Amino acid sequence: MRFIKTKTIPVLRVMFLAFLITSLPHVFAQKVPISFDAYHGYTATTKYLNDVAKAYPDITELLKIGESTMGRPISVLIITNNKTGTTLDAHVTLNNMRKENVQNVPKMKKHQGKPGQWISGSIHGNEYTGTEVCLYIIDKMITGYKENDEITKLIDKKVFYICPMINPDGVYNSVELGIPQRYNSMKKDDDEDGKINEDGPDDINGDGIITQFRYKDPKGRYIIDDAEPRLMVRLGKNEDTTKERWSVVSEDIDNDKDGKRGEDPEAGIDLNRNFPEVWFTDDGLQGGSGSYPTSAPETRAIAEFFTNHTNVLMAQNFHTSGGFTYRPLGTSPHGKLHAKDVAVYDMILGRKYLELIDKTVPKAWIYPDSLDVYKEALKKTSKNKYAIERGYELPRGWRVSYNESADRRYSYGMASDWMYMQFGIYATTTELWNPENDISDFPKLEGEDRYLQRNRALLKYQDDHYDGKYFINWVAFKHPELGDGEVGGWVPQYRRNNAFPGEPLINVCEKHWQFELFRARLLPEVEIKDVDINVLYTTNKAQSASVQSDSDPVKIEKGKSIGKFRVVEITAIIENTGALATHIGRGSTLAGNRPDVIWLLGGNDKIEFLQGTPYQKVGVLEGKKTIPGYKARPEKVASSASASSPYNRRFRRFRRVSYDQPGKKQTGSTRTVKWLIAVEGTPTLKVVVASQKGGTKVKNISIK
Amino acid sequence: MKTLKTISNITGILLFGFIFLFNSGKLSAQNKLQTSPGGYHGENDFSISWKRYYTYPEWTDMMKDIQKKYPHLATIESIGKSRMGREQYLMTITAQSAGKHNTKPAMWVDGAIHGNEVNGVTSSLYLIWYLLTRYDYDSYVHELVNNTTFYILPGLNVDAIASYVEFPNTPNNPREPYRPEDNDGDGLYDEDQTEDVDGDGELSTMYMEDPKGDYKLSTDKRRFIRISDPLEDGKRFRMIGSEGFDNDGDGLINEDDIGGPDPNRNFPYGWNLQAGNPYPMSELCTRNVFEFQLAHPNIFVGFHYHNTGRLIMYQAPPDIRKNLTPQQSREQEEQVQERLKEMRKTNKYAQLVSRRVAPEYQHDMDVQLDIVTTGARILKNYRPVLSGLSGQAPASTYYMLGAYSYLIELWGMPTFDADEDGDGSVSDVEYLKWIDLELTGEGWIVPHKVKHPDLGDIWIGGSPKKHMRRTPPARYVEMEAEKNSKFVLYCASQFPKAEIEEVTVMPATHDLLWIEIRVKNDRVYPTYSDRSIKLGRAVKDQVIIESSKNVSQIELIEEYNLFEPTNQGTKFKPLTGKTTEFRLKGKETVVFRGLIKLDGSKGWIEVKVKSKNGGTDSKKVNISVGP
Repeated sequence: MRFIKTKTIPVLRVMFLAFLITSLPHVFAQKVPISFDAYHGYTATTKYLNDVAKAYPDITELLKIGESTMGRPISVLIITNNKTGTTLDAHVTLNNMRKENVQNVPKMKKHQGKPGQWISGSIHGNEYTGTEVCLYIIDKMITGYKENDEITKLIDKKVFYICPMINPDGVYNSVELGIPQRYNSMKKDDDEDGKINEDGPDDINGDGIITQFRYKDPKGRYIIDDAEPRLMVRLGKNEDTTKERWSVVSEDIDNDKDGKRGEDPEAGIDLNRNFPEVWFTDDGLQGGSGSYPTSAPETRAIAEFFTNHTNVLMAQNFHTSGGFTYRPLGTSPHGKLHAKDVAVYDMILGRKYLELIDKTVPKAWIYPDSLDVYKEALKKTSKNKYAIERGYELPRGWRVSYNESADRRYSYGMASDWMYMQFGIYATTTELWNPENDISDFPKLEGEDRYLQRNRALLKYQDDHYDGKYFINWVAFKHPELGDGEVGGWVPQYRRNNAFPGEPLINVCEKHWQFELFRARLLPEVEIKDVDINVLYTTNKAQSASVQSDSDPVKIEKGKSIGKFRVVEITAIIENTGALATHIGRGSTLAGNRPDVIWLLGGNDKIEFLQGTPYQKVGVLEGKKTIPGYKARPEKVASSASASSPYNRRFRRFRRVSYDQPGKKQTGSTRTVKWLIAVEGTPTLKVVVASQKGGTKVKNISIK
Repeated sequence: MKTLKTISNITGILLFGFIFLFNSGKLSAQNKLQTSPGGYHGENDFSISWKRYYTYPEWTDMMKDIQKKYPHLATIESIGKSRMGREQYLMTITAQSAGKHNTKPAMWVDGAIHGNEVNGVTSSLYLIWYLLTRYDYDSYVHELVNNTTFYILPGLNVDAIASYVEFPNTPNNPREPYRPEDNDGDGLYDEDQTEDVDGDGELSTMYMEDPKGDYKLSTDKRRFIRISDPLEDGKRFRMIGSEGFDNDGDGLINEDDIGGPDPNRNFPYGWNLQAGNPYPMSELCTRNVFEFQLAHPNIFVGFHYHNTGRLIMYQAPPDIRKNLTPQQSREQEEQVQERLKEMRKTNKYAQLVSRRVAPEYQHDMDVQLDIVTTGARILKNYRPVLSGLSGQAPASTYYMLGAYSYLIELWGMPTFDADEDGDGSVSDVEYLKWIDLELTGEGWIVPHKVKHPDLGDIWIGGSPKKHMRRTPPARYVEMEAEKNSKFVLYCASQFPKAEIEEVTVMPATHDLLWIEIRVKNDRVYPTYSDRSIKLGRAVKDQVIIESSKNVSQIELIEEYNLFEPTNQGTKFKPLTGKTTEFRLKGKETVVFRGLIKLDGSKGWIEVKVKSKNGGTDSKKVNISVGP
């Protein structure tokens, strides 16, 4: 049926081997050598991830988060120091549990107590440059550990979840088989003939590569390019021509003899339209792909991963191509973003990104104090109401997919929007690869036929640098259905969308590794700065007594705490030493998210809480970095004690008195939390601060 | 046009039998048929006690056993595993000799999507039992099982269902699938669950003696009652809350019980994050259901059993009224009530709502009102109300599958017989009297003293036991199940049936003859819903004309509407060729007319009607034109 066999293009293998031989002294230092002179595809990526996990057991773990339709694993490489970090559940002892003994809560892993960053590639299978960038980042991190102080510190304190192939079936078909497949694979019957995936593309001339077939056709939409006769130029919609017209189709025959070619391929749905955000179906219209949100196994694996890893604050989803980044939103207008998040996205992340890709940064981002002036100026020059609201138009290199001038959404059910809206994550979608930016001596393209100029230049570039191996010259061939014509054209792996291996690809990888490194530096980090212990009262025999702390007097009654006990005031100071806050602007109130909490633990039989509760909610700890262009509105600040908890009314056992008296609401990056407790004996107590996205820290204290 | 005369000069119109697809002669005769209401209907052929609740192993074994007894009518399969690894068993009931399950329109029934609503399990099991045991005895059931497929999933949320029956629980928990959740935002998941502190197998309420408390014991010492007079003397109590320990030592009790997303907010249609966190179809138990439903496009109606409240919640098309002022909506409501009052003069169960739907949805709205009017009659003290969206299962059944759907809130507090003073609610005193008289005292937890490891000396009690509020005491299980089964069966009996009522041939002019075909559906449901048209899932009905070689059809253009000259009001659909597509609504007769040409004096035509959900029918007519 399908003539092509699983094999990589021989030339790439040769080049890869050549690289191994020539660069041996260099790769020797790497435990798992990697080169970027050929695409890895599904097979080599999987092998690389397994090899890395084996070679670096102390700082990596390979997690299978799901399985594609064709049974390929969806893998996340977790990079973090497996010895550092802690989680709250490791410190709280649960007593008198229900007899049913349901084991539905898995033990938390240490990395879940660290601030997390997600990096993914190839949600669209034919955009595998993203996979390469992921592998490059993995390589930089694992080889930089213990070599580079900053990388070492990041791996010790943070966690990186790297998923090089969200869509392994699409990558396999695109790279290994040379059948570009944006969608996932699905076992389905597109043409409703009772057979599944029986008519995909074919290698009709048996050269191992599925290229294109062109034939003369008076109704054809293509002509041959004058300047570069190997290229076919597509005519405009109503464009007329005196030249010979051609039709260009994929190399394909009608496998099931139903009169159509390629009408039932393996390709299924667009995974980046299968997320819940703004997905809808109604009255014969559907926004988004699949029979329901997360219907695809790949989407579901991602949804489940994010549900269970609520420590992620930064996310990148690599696509191709264009050489720019989409920040949210594409599904809704600008106003749905929290003002603070707009500032973080544009003034901090966007600015850095534009610098890295060497593009002009908008003036308003450099002088955020003058935003009002820019807004006034824009009122006269811009028709984009959202730009006027912000004070700047978004530059081409850092944009939203929402069509602001037409006020129309780009699409439905996209991953980055969903990550931002549902989990409160600074998610972005970067469209990798723009030859103008990423090939050093690439000609400047101008005028209306830029696309054609670009193709000519790329063709020339591969002639010069890759011995012309990325393009198959047209050769006469008799198509069994279409008759005489020629087979040839770009080798599909290099036809469009993906950075050429070698220098161009490394250029792309390096810029985006730098960008991800920059983002990692911004992650929050909650620390316990100090715990102060102040013994207020000691006795060997319990008597009635009154203790004065700095708020209410507390009466200790005989018979409540028996034996030798002391009344102790404990003061903990916690601080977010990271650049960004422990939740994004949108984050802390979302379903599934929670404000930061601090616990004082020591066993109920040993301590009695006189003031303050065993755990207290401390809200969101701001970061150290001032957010340019953002003025915090006076917002409701979470009180440090959970006095608003609905459970208090009904199940109160301890006195819940907040140390935060009115007018003393704590904001900023530090919190001071106090407890007044009666302690029996000399137990070791623990202060645990558990910030969902700022990390979990523990400090043992002993009262002597 | 020449005046048409009726057919007296056409002789020999023969009618060849009326063949309903599924009810063909292949079926064995119903030799155990019972026609007397006082006779035996098969209930001991497979006997089950309906006076108790069953554990998960018990009721799944029961399903397997009854399937073995009736393998020609029932098959059993697991549609998948739950979060905790329990199988979700589904039973498919249809007479296999009369056609494969996926070729017949199907009724979907699921129970207990909320694990604490285990009455849905017993009601679904009862339906299985009723269909299977009565098949040989009851001609009504016999025909339904021949013509219809029933997909019955007695327990949807199997993990919580299993716990609810076997362990001490409050009426409200466990309700959701067991996805770990941090309800109290303390950073721990499901860490403070309910416990049976006194070990009596029930979860009640905890009280503590407290001079400042606002409760006291009633004089009969059975209840804690609120103190109204602040100066009243006597022992006082403070309510702590439902029974349990402080597992995580944070000072709160039962504040983070087993739970997870509400499975009935987990379906895709109208899903939202606030109610449906974390994502649509996130739970295995709901995803398995929806995947099954998507793979079975023959599902025509869906029933979803819940507790409690005695409600028939029916899914209706969207309301198209927008931006009504309060005044306008009040006026509309008044008009509807006025009309309803009129309607109820002849039928006290009549239903009408002030929802206005788009014209292309009007039939669905009418069908639903018709069905629930009868539903209210069958279920008697159940009240039909409109069902909502927000990720609820019935919303997806209707809006995404195009199947009519009903959410039944089974059972309810015994207001109808315990409310002695007729004030519309059952007071504690009336409730206790109901327990004493009708449950002979069973079902109440008398307050008693207990030692609590976190709280010291406490009191527990003053509340009803399990299966007293949300789920009925076991003795009422059959009462609820029986009438609810009847409602499901009634709906199945109203599945569409396309019949050729009459084929007539009349002379037109010269050698041309008029052919008139009357196709009727006397059931409430149409052959496909308005919604399925919108979804592109509808398969149109067809009239197909076959004939002897000497008969040819004159094609009429589609827009050509013919009128009976003597009765201008009757509308015909023109036959547009060998096959004419149409839609047969509920309780509708569609009349087709076409022109045929007969060469010679004798010939025949055969008319076939094909409908995906309405079945097929055919009639052959011999024509002879003679002197």
